[in-house]
Amino acid sequence: MIFKKSLLAAAISALVLTACGGSSSDSETPVVEETSFSFEATEMITNLTNDVIVAGYQNLNDGATDFLLATQNLVNTPTEENLALAQQAWKEVRVPWEQGESHIFGPVDALSIDPHLDTWPLNTSDLEALLASQASFSADELKTFNDDVQGFHTMEFLLFGDGVEDNEKSIDEMTTLESEYLSAAAEVFKTYTQSLLDAWIVANDPNDANSPAYKDLLLTTNNDIYASQLGVVEELINGMIGIVDEVGNGKIAEPFGSNIDNIDTSKVESQYSWNSLADFTDNIRGVQNVYRGEFSGQADKAGIIDFVNAADADLATRVDTEITDAIAAIEAIAGDNDLPFRQAINDADARVRIQAAIDALSTLQTSFENDVLTKLQDWQQ
Amino acid sequence: MINLSKLKKLSYLSKLSKFNYLYKLSNSDSSTKQRQVKLCHVVLVITSAMIISGCNSSSSNETSKETEQPQAAYTFVSLLGGEATAIDASDSGHGFSTPMPNLTAEELDKHLTGDTHFETAFTTAPNNEHPDLDGLGPVFNNQDCNSCHQRDGRPSTITLAEGESRVLLGSNAGIFLRMSIDDGECLVPSVENNYCKNVGVDGFGTQLFHRGVLKARDDWQENPFIGQANVYLSYEYSTVTYADGNTVTLKKPMFTIEKPYDVAPENSLNSAILQANVRYSPRNGMPIFGLGLLELISEADILALADENDTNNDGISGRPNWVFDPVKANNNDPIPVSLGRFGWKASTPSVRVQSLAALRGDMGITNPLFPEESVVNTPLHESYLARTGFVDTGTDEQGNTEATQQFSDEVVFYAETLAVPARRNINDESVIAGAQLFTQVNCTGCHQPDFITSTGELLVGGLAAPEVLKGQHIYPFTDMLLHDLGEGLADNRRDFTANGQEWKTRPLWGIGLTKTVNPAAGFLHDGRAADVEEAILWHGGEAEQSKNAYMALAEAERQSLIDFVMSL
Repeated sequence: MIFKKSLLAAAISALVLTACGGSSSDSETPVVEETSFSFEATEMITNLTNDVIVAGYQNLNDGATDFLLATQNLVNTPTEENLALAQQAWKEVRVPWEQGESHIFGPVDALSIDPHLDTWPLNTSDLEALLASQASFSADELKTFNDDVQGFHTMEFLLFGDGVEDNEKSIDEMTTLESEYLSAAAEVFKTYTQSLLDAWIVANDPNDANSPAYKDLLLTTNNDIYASQLGVVEELINGMIGIVDEVGNGKIAEPFGSNIDNIDTSKVESQYSWNSLADFTDNIRGVQNVYRGEFSGQADKAGIIDFVNAADADLATRVDTEITDAIAAIEAIAGDNDLPFRQAINDADARVRIQAAIDALSTLQTSFENDVLTKLQDWQQ
Repeated sequence: MINLSKLKKLSYLSKLSKFNYLYKLSNSDSSTKQRQVKLCHVVLVITSAMIISGCNSSSSNETSKETEQPQAAYTFVSLLGGEATAIDASDSGHGFSTPMPNLTAEELDKHLTGDTHFETAFTTAPNNEHPDLDGLGPVFNNQDCNSCHQRDGRPSTITLAEGESRVLLGSNAGIFLRMSIDDGECLVPSVENNYCKNVGVDGFGTQLFHRGVLKARDDWQENPFIGQANVYLSYEYSTVTYADGNTVTLKKPMFTIEKPYDVAPENSLNSAILQANVRYSPRNGMPIFGLGLLELISEADILALADENDTNNDGISGRPNWVFDPVKANNNDPIPVSLGRFGWKASTPSVRVQSLAALRGDMGITNPLFPEESVVNTPLHESYLARTGFVDTGTDEQGNTEATQQFSDEVVFYAETLAVPARRNINDESVIAGAQLFTQVNCTGCHQPDFITSTGELLVGGLAAPEVLKGQHIYPFTDMLLHDLGEGLADNRRDFTANGQEWKTRPLWGIGLTKTVNPAAGFLHDGRAADVEEAILWHGGEAEQSKNAYMALAEAERQSLIDFVMSL
């Protein structure tokens, strides 16, 4: 198959172009831009699939296991300490999920894992009515409930309270029924993170053992999902663009508003735990993982940066710097007084820092869209 | 959630110039196309192996026989949506999700805002923190557009675990049941026959809402989150055998309905929806790109393809569906009927009616075009309102609906202006051969390759049409007409003037990216076909001859034809 593709690559002169170039006259032959470049993508795709995407979902599943255990401990021994441990475990399992938002494609969509785990906003009306009307909750039952009364934000609300005045909840404020609901939700959550991981490494249709592991569809292209490696690289780059856009123009810009009199705290992402700045940072760290090919602190491996480098070394470095700058700008929003995002949007000084973060994300998005994505057209596979 | 972005606008403008460059090189306008066909020496090379790369075929050492015959005009067309074809997204799961590259900056703004609405999940009213996002249901099929049109494509087909005989339709399901009382055919809409509207089931209506908000039903404490009834899905299997002995297993979804709200559990067989005169039709979500272009195909061009009485004796008729048009009705048009264009049976006239009917129906979000809940005046709704204090009536004290006019316009515009993905692998020898076979077995008898969209002062859904949709040479591979596809696919439920065996010819553009966008997606109106081959094998009725001709092809030729369809 590689032979076939290279033959094709030699025969056709431009990505979108019609056939039979070899038989056309010089005046009809489209000019091959001199910016064309070669890059052998197999190592990069293998690494990003196994050591970034699948490894991230493994981390998510491990985090879900720890979180479930923490909620069970809380049910069995409802102490201040166990509540704090459960809150911390929620924040920790949030990290691989938010980082994984840089590659929302495949089973996370096909199996509706994303809405199961992360539906926003929470349906407070139904959740409160359930807590007021039922005597107990089980995971089996909760799994049949609508997505907007389970997943991250439901569990966040139960763990941290409504987030209006503070993000602290004491054990006295948590009813037995709430902790039971929380633990049942954590159990359901764990089944979904396991399904997600299994779909990538065992079978993409959980009900069909013969269906390929989703990772294999990326590793060996020329299948019904990806006709070629071009599709995989395009998927990865567009995935990064998607989350940079969402963080800059949605998650940050919408609550931020056009001015300080026009803010909307109801649109803050993790508004109960006040964890939003961590969410945003992890989103862009997820971009960094895909771009660089490794998690922070790991040894260098092949990532999208290597693909870009084959086309334009200066661009490869520039985009890497822009990612680092965007992460730093988001982290800087908290300022010296460690303001949560929910408060920062209502603070004149912090708003300057928020605008700087939006600008950094905009710069990054423009580079991805105008300079990186367009390299696909010059790539001679 | 993708959001409005000034930068996206800038990048779009830069893409536009690049696009213009690419477009000039492409062959999607007819004059260039003719040139390209000449360039290709009008040679079709059929090799025994079928896999050797093309273009240099004359120098190939492969044993081959060459047959000179004209190539189908669409063989090398890449930009299926003309200038409204996607850029840098047509090989990946983003292929259905990009704005048309020829939108103006202002239009792009509107499109991106509509994009956020498309992913908005609605919640139970009242939601004091998010009053703009409440009003869900009280009974519904899903909570947001995206759940049934995943990544703007088809939803996941529900599969059964080993040992499981059926599965309850819940939040994973992008499928639901339409229903109505059997009242025979309706051929000519008029005021006397209520414009051939389907007659709803007493207490239920014309769509079964299998999910609900927590307190949707009287018995919510025993049955939380259930809608009008529970719906279970199971499958019936059959096998098709080719002459060469190859077999394909087909599956057909079967539905059972339990716990209807209108009767006590012990009397469930007495429910109005379980009576013999009720007809059901399953409906799967479908891709939503390129729709504005389809709306701008002139009515005359579509009607010119109709052959209701098969005067040319080719076994294929093709007739239009004539449907009630709420936009015309609101404008006091004396004949509020239009050509049906959208939906599995072409039962809606415009993207506007299709989208806003889904907003009100599938999700239960009232809007200015459909200001009342679907279930208004039913016992379920009356009891729900009384139980919950009349706070979720569908309109507020000022008469405002749950979705505003602006929200409605933006989400409609989004669905009108999603780009069509470009083709892949157009130079592959097997794809080229398959393009000819597609005509040879007369798939084109219904899957009409191309149209040129209208120009001039035009309306889409009652509003001025965006310029970007006009005058485009498009290749949707549909004639926009109804065809009898036989008993195997029949739902036995009429829909306006479409009868129980008729379906609208599906557009085939972008179909090869279906599983790239959603690997669990299925094909046909109920998602029964796991792939294109299965979909072909389900064709019957007017398509029987073409199916038989396809089945009579050699295995390699069948693969070529599928390779061509997958390149679209």
